[in-house]
Amino acid sequence: MRVPLGWLGEFVTVALAPEDLAERMTMHGLPVDRIVRPWEGLSGVVVARVLEVRDHPGADRLCVARVDAGSEEREVVVGVRNMGSGDLVPYAPPGATLPGVDAPLERREIRGVASEGMLCSPKELGISGDHDRILVLEDAADPGSDAAATIGLGEVVLDIEVLANRADLLSILGVAREVAAMTGEDLRLPGISASEAGPAPIGVTVEVADPDRCPRYLATVVRGVTAGSSPLRAQVRLTAAGMRPRWNVVDATNYAMLELGQPLHAFDLDRLAGPGIVVRRASPGERLVTLDDVERRLAEDDLVIADRERAVAVAGVIGGADTEVSEETRDILLEAAVFEPRGVFRTSRRLGLRTEASMRFDRGVDPEAVAEAAARATALLAEWAGGKGAGSVDVGEPPGRRTVAIRPERASALLGVELTASEVREALGRLRIPAREEAGGIVAEIPPYRVDVTREVDLVEEVGRSVGYGLVPSTLPGIRQAGGLSPEQRLRRRLADLLAGAGLWETYSFPFAADEDLPFVPGREPIRMANPISADDAGLQTSLLPGLLRAAQRNVAQRTTSVRLFEIAATFRAGHPDPVEEERVAALLTGPVGQEWPAERREHDVLDATGLVEHVVDGLGAAGMGLGEVPGPPWHPGRSAVVTIAGEPIGEVGELHPRVSRRFDLPGRVAAFELRVGPLVAAAGEAPRYRDISRFPPVHRDVAFVLDASVPAGDVRAALAEAGGDLLDRGVLFDVFEGAPLPQGKRSLAFSLDFRVPDRTLTDPEVEDRVRAIAERLRGEFGAELRAG
Amino acid sequence: MNDVQAMERLGEARGQGLAAIETASSLEELRAAEVAALGRRSPVAEVQRSLGTIDLADRPRIGREVNRVFEDLRAAVAARRVALEAEAEADVALTDRIDVTLPGRRPPPGGLHPLTSTMRAVVDAFISLGYRVSEGPELETEWYNFDALNFPPDHPARLTQDTLYPDVPGDLLLRTHTSPVQIRTMEAQEPPIYVVIPGRCFRRDTPDATHLPVFQQVEILAVDEGLSLADMKGTLEAWARAMFGPDQRVRIYPDYFPFVEPGAGLDVSCFLCGGRGCRVCGNGWIELLGAGMVHPALFENTGIDPERYSGFAAGLGIERVAMLLHGVPDIRMFYEGDVRFLSQLARSA
Repeated sequence: MRVPLGWLGEFVTVALAPEDLAERMTMHGLPVDRIVRPWEGLSGVVVARVLEVRDHPGADRLCVARVDAGSEEREVVVGVRNMGSGDLVPYAPPGATLPGVDAPLERREIRGVASEGMLCSPKELGISGDHDRILVLEDAADPGSDAAATIGLGEVVLDIEVLANRADLLSILGVAREVAAMTGEDLRLPGISASEAGPAPIGVTVEVADPDRCPRYLATVVRGVTAGSSPLRAQVRLTAAGMRPRWNVVDATNYAMLELGQPLHAFDLDRLAGPGIVVRRASPGERLVTLDDVERRLAEDDLVIADRERAVAVAGVIGGADTEVSEETRDILLEAAVFEPRGVFRTSRRLGLRTEASMRFDRGVDPEAVAEAAARATALLAEWAGGKGAGSVDVGEPPGRRTVAIRPERASALLGVELTASEVREALGRLRIPAREEAGGIVAEIPPYRVDVTREVDLVEEVGRSVGYGLVPSTLPGIRQAGGLSPEQRLRRRLADLLAGAGLWETYSFPFAADEDLPFVPGREPIRMANPISADDAGLQTSLLPGLLRAAQRNVAQRTTSVRLFEIAATFRAGHPDPVEEERVAALLTGPVGQEWPAERREHDVLDATGLVEHVVDGLGAAGMGLGEVPGPPWHPGRSAVVTIAGEPIGEVGELHPRVSRRFDLPGRVAAFELRVGPLVAAAGEAPRYRDISRFPPVHRDVAFVLDASVPAGDVRAALAEAGGDLLDRGVLFDVFEGAPLPQGKRSLAFSLDFRVPDRTLTDPEVEDRVRAIAERLRGEFGAELRAG
Repeated sequence: MNDVQAMERLGEARGQGLAAIETASSLEELRAAEVAALGRRSPVAEVQRSLGTIDLADRPRIGREVNRVFEDLRAAVAARRVALEAEAEADVALTDRIDVTLPGRRPPPGGLHPLTSTMRAVVDAFISLGYRVSEGPELETEWYNFDALNFPPDHPARLTQDTLYPDVPGDLLLRTHTSPVQIRTMEAQEPPIYVVIPGRCFRRDTPDATHLPVFQQVEILAVDEGLSLADMKGTLEAWARAMFGPDQRVRIYPDYFPFVEPGAGLDVSCFLCGGRGCRVCGNGWIELLGAGMVHPALFENTGIDPERYSGFAAGLGIERVAMLLHGVPDIRMFYEGDVRFLSQLARSA
């Protein structure tokens, strides 16, 4: 809501500077987004009297005006000729600046005639869109005086963000009430009285078929209007308030609406069949061409204003084109009504139309102020357009006023400020909410425009606003619990810390996927969006990998070639019956391991990813991790595995299929993993237990086994550890060798073994026995040959 | 061997040994000379072994001489070793040097996302005030996201233009705030409740410099006997001090959210200029939180007695805090995964 301070000043005296007023309003629940000075860009324009208008010697469509600019006479070339000698006009001399013109004006020649500045149209002054004429001032003024001040262009406007529950603040009057409450100034109601219309007009009927959706409908007939411009001051105010001035009839209804908050609609009476008004639901398939020249298909839930034949307006939202007032209109039917807010909201939402009227109706207008608003508009129509009120029909009645009880002790307890009953009453009184003390509390009578106040807490807030939240002290509750993370929450943090500490950057991505990315992991059925924002978010990601791939793609494009990223976030997939939301952790490694000398010169590969998984699993203290079968797309079929914990699959690790890397413009191998966080964290161990550390020296043996290259090293390692039993303190695979002199299809795995027990030094025969046992186990299980001992 | 021969041998061994030791030019040569002069096969050791063949009367004298020669040789070895080591140490600066300004072998760089570290800082500040962490699903029902939070059935936030709805049976949506976890927590737990609720939320916004369809929110919920707006203000003031420094002030003013009444907006004094007013804050205050006293309708919806208990809630957007803290000009940068950005702002855990 844009509130011009000059307009506000008609309702309440404002002694504060705009900045101070804005601050005060913000602290009272009328947040001021910004202070606008719409005519800030205007300077140097003065009032001039036209002395003479003559033809331009070199151009038919131009003329030359000689004006008295106060101290001297000047000549300007003008493109229109509506001004005549004696008229007062705004004159912008060289050096003046105008809102719509970039640079200050200069003296220049136009077709051979020197033009010293220009005469201004309403558009050039930023008053309206009218560019067809020079603005001719209505009021007397001295030539040479400041035109901006004369016209009222010094206006300062407060742009207020009206809170969603405050219907009453969508008007100058509503804001004035609050300003009066917070400054203690009196509220004035200029030019507003309820009786402008007189007795019922003959021959106009009003029938409300759905009183639930339209509790009140007041139709006023105004006859004999003449189209024309509104007074300049009104145009300036409408512009300042953010509405475009059009012509007097339309402007009058808008002006009254902005002032009082009641939307008004003017029908051309001659175009209403009957003439009569019927307020009813739309019939099936009914159509209406609205003011914006769009044909709207109406639904049965939509309330319409109809005449005797057809719908002529969508109630509370927009009027129809057929019955719209035009410059030929003589007689008007002026509608001032109350529509049920939710119905208006549904219709405006369905039609995708939010108008000045609908945004007021869907919050709720003051049912008692309908007649005042109609009277105000009628008076303006009389003043601006020469119309004459010719009676009205008022159907329905405002509901009785609500009362709401408030206990002073409850208000004190919730606000944390001690308030007596009389303080509570006074606080409400300042907000024009009359309250009386009764046994057990205070009963407040809620003004009809305060549709937001329905229960005790609402009144507590009003009391708080009235005394000022600034009085609220700062205290701390006595919390009788220890704060902290749950063990599971701690482990999830640890997961991120482990990966960050291992040299990966954490990323965040949007969990949305375009159509082509949705089937990224074939086994996971994606969830599509019912109302996507764009093609990029047709559905929800089933995997974190596409997000990481896109991030990697962007980084590589920016020449960050060594990319190590991870993300922890929820992923989504369709389940039966319910969709499944699963938190996952994924990492992606691609490009060189390090770039700066003396780093190792190699590319990331699958073993970096498996190593990282082991690092994470170990770091969480989870045991029983294994690598299982090849997981399928999008993984590389020869370089990937399902990750298991205690035999249960919890995710995948490996390199992504080269086709995938190519699709994301990643030049080399892309190593990655993706695990479900839940089972990973659930597998995390308790606090680790101490095991004896031997003080005796180990007995060391290096052994190598030759076996089929297809035997997984992991199986060999596991079997070796098992066969080594409690004597084998440590067994490290330190070399893998394939090729001559080994036969094709064979490879050698060399292990460095340390045998040691906590309580004594092992003897050579004991160790030899155990090495033999290991060799036998590996021969039996894998056909492995011991090469060296 | 007689005593004269023995003395001669010892004399020669001593002379040769000392010469070899003193002329050893490296620690390796010294070690060889030491073995030659003092080892099991050295001349002195030979004399020592043949002591038994010497006359009993001469034996003590020769024995003493053997020991003396051993000692002299050992002393010479020790002295020469000290000298050689000193020489070697003096040389090490020349013989074993490297340009230490070459790039060091760093572990690969990495770190937490600035939104993670900011979120943790916010959460930890509340934990230190005695709060626990409560979490909930991102795929929510309309009941938890709107109905139970006192949003009227026709509230604009429910519009398909504001809220993202998955195309699945049932009334699911992507939660638009973390507030549904308030309801879930109040259903699951009896007061007193003091929880901080972090989480990812969604709105149907087209990304631009200040809007995203995805954002991180954190809120707190306190439900106990006798809680007031003053407790809320004091709590958020304590939080702001833990977060931004000991001189922080907060101010509250009326605001509206369906799930609180009285509702409040909350500004913290600008942590960039200390509240004097700067380009970022304008008037010394930074608008940071939406807050208020828990609306009694929420208590009614979760079976908590609104006459016995009261509560407050407050929420804020993590992106905004991170943008202010780090001076990030465009909110989209948080979601682009650009390592140049992450490495500027990430802090390791």
